[in-house]
Parts: sequence; C-alpha cells; structure tokens
Amino acid sequence: MERIAITGVGVVSPCGMKKETFWANLKRGDSFVDEIKRFDASLYPSRIAGQVHELDHYTHLPARLIKKIDLFSHMALVASEQALKDSGIDLKNVDKNRAGVFMGNAIGGWLFAETELRDMYIEGREGVSPYMASAWFPAAPQGQVTIYYGFKGYSKTVVADKASSALALWYGAKIVAQDKNDFVLAGGMEAPITPYALLSANTCGNLSQNNLNYKKAYCPYDLYRDGFVLGEGSGIVVLEKESKARNRNAKVYGFIKGVGFSSDGYHYSRYSPDTDSLEGAISDCLKDSGWGKNEIDYICLDAEATIMGDYLETKALKNVFGNEIKNISLSAPKSAYGNLLGAQTALDLIATIFSLKTGTVLPTINHQMDDPYCDLDYTFNKPIQREIKKALIIARGRGGINVVLAVEK
Amino acid sequence: MALKDEVVEVICSTLEVKKEEIKDGQNLYDSIGVDSTEMVEVVVSLGKRFGIQIETSEITKFSTLEEIVSVIEKKKNAN
Repeated sequence: MERIAITGVGVVSPCGMKKETFWANLKRGDSFVDEIKRFDASLYPSRIAGQVHELDHYTHLPARLIKKIDLFSHMALVASEQALKDSGIDLKNVDKNRAGVFMGNAIGGWLFAETELRDMYIEGREGVSPYMASAWFPAAPQGQVTIYYGFKGYSKTVVADKASSALALWYGAKIVAQDKNDFVLAGGMEAPITPYALLSANTCGNLSQNNLNYKKAYCPYDLYRDGFVLGEGSGIVVLEKESKARNRNAKVYGFIKGVGFSSDGYHYSRYSPDTDSLEGAISDCLKDSGWGKNEIDYICLDAEATIMGDYLETKALKNVFGNEIKNISLSAPKSAYGNLLGAQTALDLIATIFSLKTGTVLPTINHQMDDPYCDLDYTFNKPIQREIKKALIIARGRGGINVVLAVEK
Repeated sequence: MALKDEVVEVICSTLEVKKEEIKDGQNLYDSIGVDSTEMVEVVVSLGKRFGIQIETSEITKFSTLEEIVSVIEKKKNAN
C-alpha cells in the first residue's frame, strides 16, 4: 500500500481549540480535567471530565445551522474546517465526487436527544424538534460535514467504542489507497458530558471516581489508578496519497503506514485475561507496515487506567517486543485531558505526528506510585527528547476491540 | 403588530434568519433556501403562536409570505 499522508489537522479538545495550543498544553504536562458543572452531576459516581468550554468562540457556523445539530456534529464541523484550511486544499479545484468523510463515534448526540425526548413526553408529539431525527445518531456528523462542503465521495462512520476513530482512520486511509477518493477527512468526535450519556458511561464501571482530587484522577500505570476520565471533543485529519500530496507541494505531517486489528471475543465489556488478541493486533500491524520490532521508537498507549486494562496492555507489549520494549518510548498523553471515546485515536494520532516532527515524547502525567505489575518506562510526568521515526498507536474498545495504527514521518 | 410582521417574526426567530432576508412576493425556498424539515418547525411555531392547527400541506416551502398570512387569517377567522 502506498503511504497515506496526513496533510491537515483540526483539533477541538479540552486542552486546546487549535493544534498549536493542544500541543503546547500537552508538553507542559498539566491536567485539563475539571469537575462537571454544566448540569448537576453531584450524584454521579464519576463527575469529572475533560471539557470543551469555548466552542462558540471558535465556531464558523451560523446560528441557523447550530440549532439543528448536536454538539458532537458542531465539534466535528469546527475541527473539519481547521483541518481543511490547514491542508491548503482549494475546495474550488477539487472533484467533490472523490472527497469523503470517515468518522468514529461511540455514543451519538445525547444533548439533543435527551432534551427533545423530554419535551416529547411533556408536550406531546409537537414538542419534539423535527431535527431530532437527523441530529442524534452516530453518523450525523459525517452527514453534516459532507453536506457543509458538498462532498459526495465514499464516506462512512464507525462505531466501536474507544477504538472508533482508529478504525475510521484506517478505513479512510484504505479508501484513499484504493484510489476511490482523492482525499478524505478522517477522525472522530464525541460529546458524552450530558446527564444521560454520563450516566451510561458511569455504568461501564471503568471511569475514575477520584472526584475530590480530579486533576490527578487519570493516572494510568500508577498503583492508585481507578479508571480513566471521560473527555469531549473532536480530532480530524486530512488524508491523501503521498504522491498526490507531493504533487501539490502540500505540507506533510506524517504517514499512516499500516494497521492491525482483532477482537477478544470474550465478554461484552471486559478484556480477555489472555492477551493473544491484542498481541495479534500489534504483530499484524508490524507485518502490515513491513516493520521489525526493533524499528519502533514510540508507542502511544491505550491507557484505560483500570487495574486489568493497564496490566494486560503491559503484558501484551512485553510478550510481543520482549527485550526490545526497553528501547521503545511509551506514553499516554491523553492522561492530561481524558479519553474522548470515539474521538480518542484521532487526537492520539495528532499528538503522535507532532511527536514525530519535534522528537518529543509527551508525558503520562499524574504518576505518584509505581505498580510492580506495570513496570515499563511510561515517560511519567515529564516529556523527553529523542528521535522518533516510527510509532504505533494502540486503541482498545470495550470487550476487546483491538486496533493498532502504524505512523511514520 | 400587523399579522404579516408577526409571521415574519415567528419565521425569523424559529430559523435564526434576519428580517431583511424574507422578501414580499417570494417563497421561502427562493428567499432563504428553507428546507422541508425547517418548514415543519415553522408550521409548528406558527400554530403555537396563533393558537391554530395548521397542516404541513397547507403551508409549504413554496408558499409566499402573503399566502402564509392568508392561510393564518382564514384559520383565525374560522375559530
């Protein structure tokens, strides 16, 4: 497969509304997790999250459109606009029949749905907005983005929990590699900080309940970890063939080289204690990319921050890489702002391509106490400088949807 | 307030468009590019504002402002 170039980046995240601020804030190693105050969350077991507060200041959309769409579509539209502008693609000179959109999302648009369903039960059928039908479902942002730009090329939305955008990125890259589209917008968006969505996320049982010390709550690979922290936002990149990007003298951030994926097939929410599937996904990704184990410089980790999740990820890495793992830098930059579920791998990809470019390994923050079962070097608390040519990104969805992406500069 | 101004106000606040965009003698599709889902919302809002029952077939996106006003007038008088 020809390498797929990343030529544009858009970020709507709890730690920055532009790629520059996102990167600078991650390098600083501060926590962007806060208490949830936009509704009364005081009785929720986990009531903290990485939140986006400034979307209205950064939006380019008219009020007429904003009122018809859910927050997650709004975030995707803002991130898409950034990514397209960043790519330098002139939309007047592209074949829109060969431009597509590939999105990842885990839960849909609940802010819109909750409000309208409540109105339906209170006011009857006329109380519900006619936009409800097209606003809530997971593929709504894909639809809104394609309508906004008039893109008519092959497009898809993937729903696969925390691995959604990893699969969407792979899907988009594959379609570009197969020459079905000239370029695609690929990534994901998630807006789970609403009364019902937060409740259902809490039901999963893998969210941190360290509400009192919320800045330190998301502490993967730490002895005191008790789950991840939820986040909201969107990450979108522009993907095109290397040859096409070079032809138009585009700035290239990095390349998607390969993918590996597998399913645990074990339980509807828990990971299999046997790490064969995750190891298989990592090995398949290396094979797909044509890379040896000793060529990897950096791995951006899944970091579920549950006792089992981090232990199993560590175990799989040791089994696949053996002694080589000591030469590979590992980290989970998302510890600074939370896990954005269906949008997470897109932000991991964006962080990783900046790591490739600047030779900076972003830190895994909030580490206090070593866990003897998580005994690798996870780049705790402070960034380090080293050359990074080849990197992997690991994403795991509930019940063991394992996706590994290979990225290089 | 004249009935026509009230109708314009309802359309503008429902769709978040400016008053100047809605022009006499033009239908809502031509003037503000209204779509069928937006029309459902406009019809519901008009019904609520004037306390009448309007079917979506009576006012469509191809109705001019004057036609919308006359439908509402007839319904109000029938009440």
